[in-house]
Amino acid sequence: MDSLRVCAGVALSVTVLCSSERSDLSAREDATGSLSGRVHVVAHPARRLATAGVYPGRIVGIQADRDSSELDNVIVFINSSMRVDSAPQRLSIRQTNEEFVPHVVAVTTGSTVEFPNDDLIFHNVFSLSRAATFDLGRYPRNSSKARTFTKPGVVKVFCHLHSHMSAIVRVFSHPYFAFPDRNGRFTIPDVPAGRVEVTAWHERAGEVTHMATIDDGGTAELRFSLPLTDPE
Amino acid sequence: MSAINTARSPRLLVKVLCFAFAVIACVIVAVFVLFSWQTNARVTRNVVENMEASQLRFAGLDARLRREHTLQAMALAENPTLKAAVDTYYSERGNQHELGQLRSTIETELTKLQQIMDVPSLSVTDVRGIVLASAGPNKGDWPPGARMTLRVEEDGAPVEAVVMRNDHAYAATAVPLVLGRDVVGEFFLASPLDDAYAANLAAEARAEIAILLDGRVIATSTSATLRRALESVALPLSGTIVLGGDEFVVQRLSSIDSASLYALGSVTEAARTASADSGLVLVLAGAGALLIAVGGSWWLAQTVARPIDRLSNSLAQMAKARDFDQPLPSSGGSRELDTLTATFNELRTAVALAEAESEAAYLGVIGALATALDARDPYTAGHSQRVADLSVSIGRQIQLSEADLETLRLGALLHDIGKIGVSDAVLRKPTKLTPDEFEQIKLHPTLGARILKPLRFLDAQLAIVELHHERPDGQGYPHGLKGDEIPMFARIVHVADAFDAMTSARAYRAAMPVATAIGELWRLIGVDFDAQVVQAMAALPVALTEAGSSEEPVAERLSTRSLVPFPSRATIVAGQHGQFALRRAE
Repeated sequence: MDSLRVCAGVALSVTVLCSSERSDLSAREDATGSLSGRVHVVAHPARRLATAGVYPGRIVGIQADRDSSELDNVIVFINSSMRVDSAPQRLSIRQTNEEFVPHVVAVTTGSTVEFPNDDLIFHNVFSLSRAATFDLGRYPRNSSKARTFTKPGVVKVFCHLHSHMSAIVRVFSHPYFAFPDRNGRFTIPDVPAGRVEVTAWHERAGEVTHMATIDDGGTAELRFSLPLTDPE
Repeated sequence: MSAINTARSPRLLVKVLCFAFAVIACVIVAVFVLFSWQTNARVTRNVVENMEASQLRFAGLDARLRREHTLQAMALAENPTLKAAVDTYYSERGNQHELGQLRSTIETELTKLQQIMDVPSLSVTDVRGIVLASAGPNKGDWPPGARMTLRVEEDGAPVEAVVMRNDHAYAATAVPLVLGRDVVGEFFLASPLDDAYAANLAAEARAEIAILLDGRVIATSTSATLRRALESVALPLSGTIVLGGDEFVVQRLSSIDSASLYALGSVTEAARTASADSGLVLVLAGAGALLIAVGGSWWLAQTVARPIDRLSNSLAQMAKARDFDQPLPSSGGSRELDTLTATFNELRTAVALAEAESEAAYLGVIGALATALDARDPYTAGHSQRVADLSVSIGRQIQLSEADLETLRLGALLHDIGKIGVSDAVLRKPTKLTPDEFEQIKLHPTLGARILKPLRFLDAQLAIVELHHERPDGQGYPHGLKGDEIPMFARIVHVADAFDAMTSARAYRAAMPVATAIGELWRLIGVDFDAQVVQAMAALPVALTEAGSSEEPVAERLSTRSLVPFPSRATIVAGQHGQFALRRAE
């Protein structure tokens, strides 16, 4: 509770720079360009934090010392259900000091996420999400269990033993997604040319979508700026 | 003592019992009145103290309960499945099917918690306060989709308040569902503030409980009547109030939000209970006292009444037998009764003495009469006394008892009393009597009897006086009785009378010598005199006053010294030791 009392309201500001005005995605099948830009996160002084418009009312408590790292939890991706096969990845979400690290990962379908336990205590990873409903059971330190994600979507991951632990695995059917760096900059290479929806997403702050046109060989610049303002 | 008295007055036992009963009844009634008078004040004080104690106890209990309530809610809100489901619910918002699934997951989890923890009602809302799912008996008041009016603080601090839902009051606690650093929803624990809750508290507080919300009664542990009475009054924070005719002590125990908990203690009810308790004790004590009184009274009556009964029985017997010679036995019942007995005995002795005195007085008078009679005729002077002495000597010779000798003496002394009625002319006539005159003389025994008859104490002597002239051959007077028909006393006096007459001088003849007289007696045995009497007299020792003492019997002297000259006028007198002396007559 106390942590909640002291938590400072933070707003996430993502600035999307769109430098490529026009592109024709359908011009050539194999034509690609890259997408880059900047996400800007702004600390918000309000105690009751911004709520997402689609699913309003969500209170977001973000501590001040997490402000700089909130960019780690932002994913910028092409918002499309197109299936583009790519080599399956193998990532890890470690359980360290009763926390899932990293908090947010993004993978392509068919990829596998490991959940190694670094703590002296047991953990029990599970999910109730539609994209992957699973329960890995309890396991001790230095052991690991893995899960392969086959359906795109948001998979919320929790620990049965420690109700404060949570993580998110975002599964995409294509490889066109990126995390901004500490400066907010991101680059998504080899995006098929054409007009696309680009979304910057944060688990609590919601998502912001802009349209962009990718020219063959060109680079589209987008600026996403958060916070999101609550219309209420 | 008499039957009339017994019938008129109650028995002693009854009297004592009635008295004891009256005293005990008075004491019990007095105690009861005093007690009842005190009970109300004492009971009110007790109830007030009880209320104050309840309030203290309750304040601590209440604070602890609320803290526990909040802690319980917070602990339940840490349930990982709930949190995961609520958080997932948020991320799955586009898929209705999935949301239904998650909602039922939440509801299942809530129901499980509610049953395990046995808490009244649980609900989970999203961050906007819209109910996702509820569990518990009152979940109908919190359906999914309903908007919860109670919200956690902006900083996520838990809150507690009284919430009205569909006219039902709840004490609700709201805590945030926190995931990591974020609030993902709210968790509610609600207890209905209903009559059952009030009844539970009432058992705890040992008083009636009323729960008011903004001055309106929302739940009570009381009867419907009392509840209606409560609804029409404003309850003070503490004090007394009259509800439905009964007096109540009121104390506010605690308040949650705008709801207040009041404890109500009925003074009237407590007083009634106390009175009933003490009444039972009093009745028992009274019954015990009464029992003791009955026993004591019975014993007392027995110890007093029984000796009185004995005494009265003795007296009744005494009166019936007309025998007052024996003193009354002491009853030994009590000092008073003994005193009564002793007094009675003294009275009896005094009466006996008085009787003896009056008897003696009578005898004195009669003796004087006899002496006066004797004195009428110089020839018969001392006759009665001599006859009496001689009769006693004869009586003693034939071994009569002392009492008989006394009867004999007195009879002999009075034997000629009837001669009072014989005229001097006849009585003192110096010459021989004519037959008419003799007939007058013959009346004297009957006359004597008539004179003495009214003197009851001379009854025994009456026969001597009346019959001292009867003869064994039936030629005597006045009745002409024969032999054994004549009483022994009369025969003795007859012999003594004749002997004295013979040995006394008369105007018309000289005194006969003793020996001659005895010889005459002897000669006329069976005709005029009784053989036994004459023999007894003859056996009497004779002392000759002038010739010195002689221990020889009269008869023997008659046979051996029949010629011994006797003084011309002499008589046989009884000596001190029963012997006879012949003494010259004056």
